[in-house]
Amino acid sequence: MLELKDVNTYYGNIHALKGISLTVNDGEIVTLIGSNGAGKSTTLRTIQGLIKPRSGSVVLDGVELQKLPAHEVATLGVAQSPEGRMIFPRMTVLENLEMGAYVRRDLSSFQNDLEHAFTLFPRLKERISQKGGTLSGGEQQMLAMARAMMAKPKILLLDEPSMGLAPILVELIFDIIKKLNQEGTTILLVEQNALMALSIAHRGYVLQTGEVVLADKAEKLLKDPMVQKTYLGVE
Amino acid sequence: MMKIIRPGITFGIIGGLLTFLFGGWSVAVIGCFMGLGLGLGLAGQFERKNPLELVKSALPTALIAGVILVLLSLYQSSVVQEAIGKRPTAEEIVAKGNLIGFLGAVGFSLLLVALHSLPEKQEQQWKIAVLALVVITFPFVDQASELRWTSQIIFALIFVILGLGLNIVVGYAGLLDLGYAAFFAIGAYTTGILSSPVHNIQWNFWLVIWIAAAMAAIWGLILGAPTLPLRGDYLAIVTLGFGEIVPVLFKNLIDVTIKEPLTCWILPMFGANTTCIVFTEHFDATLGEKGISPIGRPALPLIAHGEPAGAAMTIKIVIMLVAIAILGYLFWRAWSSGNRKPGVMAGFAGALAAIFIFFLPIPRTNNTIIDSVLGIIQPGEFESSRPVTWYFLIIGIILLSIFIIRRLRDSRLGRAWMAIREDELAAAQMGIDPVKTKLLAFAMGATFSGFAGAFYAAYIRGIFPSVFDFSASIIILCVVILGGIGNINGVIVGGLVLMTADRLFLPALKDFLAAFLKTTILPSISDPAVQLAVKDNANPILYRFLLFGLTLAIMMAVRPEGLIPNEQIRAELHEKEAVAEVEAPKSKKGKKG
Ligand SMILES: Nc1ncnc2c1ncn2[C@@H]1O[C@H](COP(=O)(O)OP(=O)(O)O)[C@@H](O)[C@H]1O
Ligand SMILES: [Mg+2]
Repeated sequence: MLELKDVNTYYGNIHALKGISLTVNDGEIVTLIGSNGAGKSTTLRTIQGLIKPRSGSVVLDGVELQKLPAHEVATLGVAQSPEGRMIFPRMTVLENLEMGAYVRRDLSSFQNDLEHAFTLFPRLKERISQKGGTLSGGEQQMLAMARAMMAKPKILLLDEPSMGLAPILVELIFDIIKKLNQEGTTILLVEQNALMALSIAHRGYVLQTGEVVLADKAEKLLKDPMVQKTYLGVE
Repeated sequence: MMKIIRPGITFGIIGGLLTFLFGGWSVAVIGCFMGLGLGLGLAGQFERKNPLELVKSALPTALIAGVILVLLSLYQSSVVQEAIGKRPTAEEIVAKGNLIGFLGAVGFSLLLVALHSLPEKQEQQWKIAVLALVVITFPFVDQASELRWTSQIIFALIFVILGLGLNIVVGYAGLLDLGYAAFFAIGAYTTGILSSPVHNIQWNFWLVIWIAAAMAAIWGLILGAPTLPLRGDYLAIVTLGFGEIVPVLFKNLIDVTIKEPLTCWILPMFGANTTCIVFTEHFDATLGEKGISPIGRPALPLIAHGEPAGAAMTIKIVIMLVAIAILGYLFWRAWSSGNRKPGVMAGFAGALAAIFIFFLPIPRTNNTIIDSVLGIIQPGEFESSRPVTWYFLIIGIILLSIFIIRRLRDSRLGRAWMAIREDELAAAQMGIDPVKTKLLAFAMGATFSGFAGAFYAAYIRGIFPSVFDFSASIIILCVVILGGIGNINGVIVGGLVLMTADRLFLPALKDFLAAFLKTTILPSISDPAVQLAVKDNANPILYRFLLFGLTLAIMMAVRPEGLIPNEQIRAELHEKEAVAEVEAPKSKKGKKG
């Protein structure tokens, strides 16, 4: 469904992605793990068209995304819950969710989807007319995810959804990701919390300084000695 | 208690002092407007309860405002009038004026407060009905009371339209435009060039106003395009530049020569022997500093009384039939989709009547009352001596603008503007095209200044480049900021307050001061040089920009979100307080649970 081939992305002359190739198949959760600065967020930004790769291709269902501006990529069915959330702080929770559905021309099922989002994130329903900027960190994270869901994307990109959250909330968020996937959403999940990410994902890629160093089934990566040592803290 | 009485005192004193400047019947009109303002302000302070209780709680405020107004106005007619060396006001005018003023102040404020007992939607409808009544009767009351404010209020209303247009750019899309008067100029000059005997082109105003709006919109796109990658300060600086260039351009379009490049330069360069095609040569398009004058004026009905049949009339009739056909199609669509509410049907009937009245002359009846009403509806050519017709024209343009702008605000495009204003990158992730969205903001914003420009040019019958300089852009921006960025009602109030202050209040203050000084201070100054200096400098119109600046500075310190704020922008300006407000109830809940 989504395929990156030999993608090279630069920030000025910083070579952030050095020939990344990866695929995400229909119905999968694929996770991208790696330490700080490895290029995980850059990969997602490249897929979404927020930065243009200098070479390589990003193909979604046969369409070359790397040539398109970000808003057209969104229209083709790519939604992201970005790092640092980037919700609209002065809009209410409901208005934020409405913005999430902006790409959809057909809004007949909007109410249903809204109800569905609220069953996954009941906390958001309580805060429906509160301004996004006044939500707590965890609530903002939920809002960013719910907003991305409202687009009914073909593929959902999640950038560190567990960052800065209390352990209980982390579990909740991962449960929801799993549930979303079971309902049929394809997910590309970027995480530093490798243990959690690998335990719900089908496959995983390990990124180091802009390069894919390992790619395998998630359960195999969990047993890989290098992964265990570097990302899972097992001696 | 103090909180409720204070607005009464404030309004009473402001209203009373205004009567000092205008005298005569002014107390009656000022009293009514004061009542409206006070009522609109007070109603929101109370909870919804039964009308009698509401009236009871607002009564002290209303009475205080009315009494202060009348006391000051009586002081005006008995003492001030003499002090500034004017003849005393006739006793009958004093008695009736003060009575009407008092009743207007108390009556209107209590009426609006009592309306607060209704459910919100009904209250809104009644408020609109009351305001509509005031708007319709104002020019006639103005005429009867010999205040002659209407011709100046029309200028204020022009700035209301300009403010509404700029509000799209600055308020909705969040793009700071410091050169908005450029589009006002483009609308006005388009009208000037297309409907002035100077150029021998005299197209009908009703056509030209749409061309002016379209021209302004196109130039909105053209001037908007280079600013797209810019944000904040940089955007402001570039728009400032455009604002300076456009009037200078109009000043210098006095010797225009347009030749077809292929036949005049390119082919001859290769030795070909062609005759050069010249479109215009030495054409004086704008007449430079002199400006274009006179400019054609609108006339109603479109087909004049006794107009001979001919090509022109045929075209007008065809246009009328097309309008009726479009209306018929819309009616058919509404009817067949089951939208048969009486309100909608009445709207269609009204629109059909309006089309007939607009196009076809109604025969006169020899009944003076009916004929004078017809004279207002179909006045023939609009004249300066009858501001009423112009007044209703601009009110019509404003209503149309409000209707369109509200639809825009609530549309997909409107939501895209708000998202861009909040966070451009996040908006792009939502699938919003930032380029298209911003360009449309510039174009839509400019459209309304095109309307305003066309009206302005026809109203003053002439246009001069100096009118559209930087200060005009800043005044329009002041209107938006004073009223409340992003709020339609706010911008309307802002335009009315700022421009009536500029057009009515300052000139009246100038006359008042001059008369006052002449009878009091000036005679006691012996040195003629000092006397002259005092006389010349006691002119508040000289300080109008200082006063604008001061008003804005005070607003920014006291109420930065404007008189009637937009929710989102208030949140932006009071971020810290909002967070504190949300956290406080949360912690309370926590303790309980
Ligand atoms: N806006 C930027 N400008 C310049 N360099 C950047 C920018 N964003 C990220 N980088 C650099 O690109 C590399 C990859 O960053 P990123 O994709 O954010 O890493 P990760 O998400 O894996 O922590 C890092 O070396 C980082 O410093
Ligand atoms: Mg990152």
